[in-house]
Amino acid sequence: MPSEFSLSVNGAKQIVSAAPETPLLFVLRHQLKLTGPRLGCGMAQCGACAVLLDGEEVRTCVTPVSSAVGRQLTTIEGLPALWAAQKHLSASDAAKTLHPVQQAWIDEQVPQCGYCQSGMMIAAVQLLAKNPNPTVAQIKDAFTNTPPSPHLCRCGTYVAIIDAVQRAAKAMRA
Amino acid sequence: MTVSTEDSATATSVVMLTRRGAVKMGGALFVSFAFPAVASTDAAVIGAPLDPTQLASWLEIRSDNTIVMRTGRTETGTGMSGFYTQVVAEELCVRPEAISLIMGDTDKTPDGGYSADFRDGMANVRKVAAYTYQALLRLAATQLSVPVEDLTVVDGVVSGGGKTIPYGQLVQGQHLDLKIPVSGEPAKSDPTRWVGITSLDGYTVTGNPPTKLLSQWKVMGKSYPVPGIPDKVTGKTRWTCDVTLPKMLYARMVRPATLGSTLISVGEIDKKRFPTAAIAKKGNLVAVVSPSEWEAISAAPVVAAGTKWTNWAGLPGNENVSKTLRAQKWDAPAERGENAAAVEAAIAKCSKTISAFYEQPYVRHAPIGPFAAVADVRSDGSVTVWTHSAQSQGLRARIAHMLGTTPDKVVIRWVDHSGQYGRTTLGGDGAEADAVILSQLTGKPVSVQWTLQEDLAWSSVSPAWISDIRAGFDANGRVIAVRSSFYSPHMLDPRPVGALLAGMPCSTSKPSGFVATQWPYDKIQNRSEHAYGMPNLGADTPSGGLRGHIMRTPGQRQQNFALESLINEAAASVGADPIQFRLDHTTDQRLIDILNATAKAAGWESRPSPHAKARRSGTDPVTGRGVCIIVRQNSYWAGIAEVAVAPATGAVHVTKFTIGVEPGKIINPRQLDRCMKSGVVMGLSEALKEEVTFDRSKVTSTDWSRYKILTMEETPEIKVVQISRDNKGFGSGSEAANAVGPPAVAAAFFDATGVHARRIPLTPAYVTTLLKD
Repeated sequence: MPSEFSLSVNGAKQIVSAAPETPLLFVLRHQLKLTGPRLGCGMAQCGACAVLLDGEEVRTCVTPVSSAVGRQLTTIEGLPALWAAQKHLSASDAAKTLHPVQQAWIDEQVPQCGYCQSGMMIAAVQLLAKNPNPTVAQIKDAFTNTPPSPHLCRCGTYVAIIDAVQRAAKAMRA
Repeated sequence: MTVSTEDSATATSVVMLTRRGAVKMGGALFVSFAFPAVASTDAAVIGAPLDPTQLASWLEIRSDNTIVMRTGRTETGTGMSGFYTQVVAEELCVRPEAISLIMGDTDKTPDGGYSADFRDGMANVRKVAAYTYQALLRLAATQLSVPVEDLTVVDGVVSGGGKTIPYGQLVQGQHLDLKIPVSGEPAKSDPTRWVGITSLDGYTVTGNPPTKLLSQWKVMGKSYPVPGIPDKVTGKTRWTCDVTLPKMLYARMVRPATLGSTLISVGEIDKKRFPTAAIAKKGNLVAVVSPSEWEAISAAPVVAAGTKWTNWAGLPGNENVSKTLRAQKWDAPAERGENAAAVEAAIAKCSKTISAFYEQPYVRHAPIGPFAAVADVRSDGSVTVWTHSAQSQGLRARIAHMLGTTPDKVVIRWVDHSGQYGRTTLGGDGAEADAVILSQLTGKPVSVQWTLQEDLAWSSVSPAWISDIRAGFDANGRVIAVRSSFYSPHMLDPRPVGALLAGMPCSTSKPSGFVATQWPYDKIQNRSEHAYGMPNLGADTPSGGLRGHIMRTPGQRQQNFALESLINEAAASVGADPIQFRLDHTTDQRLIDILNATAKAAGWESRPSPHAKARRSGTDPVTGRGVCIIVRQNSYWAGIAEVAVAPATGAVHVTKFTIGVEPGKIINPRQLDRCMKSGVVMGLSEALKEEVTFDRSKVTSTDWSRYKILTMEETPEIKVVQISRDNKGFGSGSEAANAVGPPAVAAAFFDATGVHARRIPLTPAYVTTLLKD
């Protein structure tokens, strides 16, 4: 039976109605119209649906909506605000500033089809929060060996992602 | 501004400019309609198609100096939209930022055509822009009272005789009576044709309007950003799976138990658990629909568990594919090259010959996002489909054929989605037929997305290949004759599985051999290639079996693996350096240059393979390097792989890959670099990991733990070498970057171990067996 849940999504309080076991992905996409996270494998094997929950990446295709209560959820739509809050940007600056990871993804021309890239950017934000200056080996390790699965890209944009993570790291350290 | 002058007489004969009074609409534009540059969710209003002979159907110049260009071709993730924008900007002398593109909507674009070959796709928009530029110059000459030859155009502003006028102002109140000459027709179903539809190219713009010389390109050849990327990064892009319509249902398919099963009975829906879910069925097509996507997803496996299917076991199992192909009675092959008997005779006379048998498994496109489509079938007979197809008009033809209606009743709206890598190039395969049939059954718009398991089991596959090759040498150790025979199941079956399972009409194509090799070694004159085709494995089933389809660098990727592997074996057999050996067999300067440049970038040391320290046992890794080339569609690629092999475990790691490309004139160096590197990733994935596995009934590699693709950690350092030429036109850029992976890795494996790897993928299990023998 549907229940109401109070979620904190991209800095705003949201009341949603869903059966407790409903995966977060469908609540985000259908009720909150946040389509950045996308359905890939549906079993936490690819990373296309990833979001941040209290700064940790989770795969929303297998994460029940109930488990997000009381935690801060961030999708790619919320990354600019996350950065603006971290850097105490003025409202006018915030409005025209993307998260450095997003900016790097544009500058390095990362996405091809782009289907997996929301999850890739989420993984990058998590990595850079823990390691502000990762080596290539550390980036490869983070995107491959962080549970529950590697982040997969079938277009093969891995090299572009590595370049973009390093560019973002530099921008975030500045 | 310099304009090439070839065929300018032809150009003026078709560009007729008449000056008329102010256009009634008062919009001061070329055309009477304007579309937003984002996908619309309105159901299409069925009306007359755009007239491709009218400039207004293609291009619109707005009073604010922005330009809208329309083409039926689509963006598949490689940057086509950027390249099209650049070429239109180049020909019109405007900034690329001034141009927005409308792509792939069959009711809003004039030409159609498939999106596989960039050169064909670009030719239409380039010519339209070039015709328009000539017309604009004439208009400006009249308005400014300055001869055309005294006019210059920079960023859309025409100058001459001390006066200037921007395009937007120039076209105010004007009507350009510019006829665009075209040939061809929109795609329509024709089961007698090789892929079941006519006119893969749709309308082709004809004539030769003056175009800018390659050597004087200002916009082409520069690394302009690819449009669409910022929206993908910020979450603004709307994908096929994001399309929502009023009263729309979500569907999940319940596929047969095996590739050959037919339906006995459908399971039930527990209405207490799934109050809004319902079953929709036609023939062997079964689905669960619900206004809630999650409810459809949750109910589908429950219904599937209660659904009964007949048994079937007609596949050979993936481990027996080569044996099955070996035993096949083949029809006459497709042939290329010289007379086969003469080549056989030449080889028979050689004192030294080598021969080899190569095997490649079934692989598949395997995008991260499974197939998705939304369809709205209305009671008035109109059908609108939102989807990501690389051939919207072809898809329209197939959907119309399935429904027994005419293409004009069907509209395809193109929306972004996960990569297609060739599987929708011929306008088939995908979730569109499912969505259309379910919308027809339910009377509501229906959104279908396949599950990953379903996509990895039921989408079309790139078929397995076996190849026999023999080569004969002269007394100097040069190859003088090569005889190649390639065998594979059907590779051109774009039938939508939804239509097949529902038992609805389906255009098909005849299985036949397909020689894709573009012969790169002109010093080897005596050569013959035969390609043998056969139906899909499991073809005589309601699903069509393992439906073979094209995949990036189709056919040539597989044939080149065999050919280049043989060349590497030939070089080794005469103790020659494999790069020098290739240089010794060609006079093609473009091939010679890219090979030398790639070798230099890789730090290639000239010596024969295998390496002096090569070994096939031991716990310490052993290293090697290997090379290959491919020539395709006016482009040349060379690849050099460096590998480390651990004989004890069979693990093969590619430690570095250098890839060179010479595609004539390079259009966007940065995007080419990106797509070359990603193409290498795809090729290494095929070389090391990929194989569609199946038992006697069904595909078994149905998730990412069983259909393994390359990860970031397995991606080596990749170095890209680019050569751009001004005098060779332009080619297909990054396409075959995937095809250089497998032969180069196999050659590097031989260099490291002294053992020829004649099969891919080089998995630890296969390598361990190989090194033991």
